[in-house]
Amino acid sequence: MIDLEKAITSLADNNVEYVVVGGVAITLHASGYITQDLDFCYLRTRENIHHLVTALNPFDPMPRNWPDGLPFIFDESTLMNGTNFTFDTSIGAIDLLGEVKGIGNYTDALANSVTYQIYGLEVRAFTLEALIISKTAADRPKDHLVLPELLALKEALDPNEE
Amino acid sequence: MKRTPEEKLLNPKPGGKIAAARDFGIDLTLTVSQLRLSPQQRIDNLQSGMKFLAELAKARKLGPVEKVK
Repeated sequence: MIDLEKAITSLADNNVEYVVVGGVAITLHASGYITQDLDFCYLRTRENIHHLVTALNPFDPMPRNWPDGLPFIFDESTLMNGTNFTFDTSIGAIDLLGEVKGIGNYTDALANSVTYQIYGLEVRAFTLEALIISKTAADRPKDHLVLPELLALKEALDPNEE
Repeated sequence: MKRTPEEKLLNPKPGGKIAAARDFGIDLTLTVSQLRLSPQQRIDNLQSGMKFLAELAKARKLGPVEKVK
């Protein structure tokens, strides 16, 4: 279970540029779906990766299902050498995505995002349309479980739909 | 007159995406409840739901307890 307040506050305190893209974004759009992690798309510049490492290091990130006893260093080099990561941390599961299927990189994610106010902070999250596109592209069984409600919300919120 | 999102969710038009979600098994009354909340309240509910699921997972690991006779 992720402690959302700690995660989001630390990301804001360290000026990380990111867009919330997964289950938390789905919740912001009024779905009843319950996620267990925080997924976000991050800007892959050296500066932002430095901010990201500073923000998450206090929570001891380790790759999910990492073998016991095998050393791991969470630093700028690690993040520069990959794109998408799934981490377990002391405050819960956090997935870092440099690319989101169906949408693209951080610039594309930002262009497909809206701002919400949570914990007194401005947080960017995928639009409903972007969530539908990314979940359709991801095409996993868990995505097919949330898509009907997202499509229903889109129809309900569309002023042109009767 | 245009219907509100709540009205559309609670009384979907046949053949639409809302009707498809209802037929899929989505409880749209819960979706309506979520729509009435602020984004912060939705996140607070999510965090509570996560805690509850974590407790359920703990209980599942422990297994059933003996009934007191």
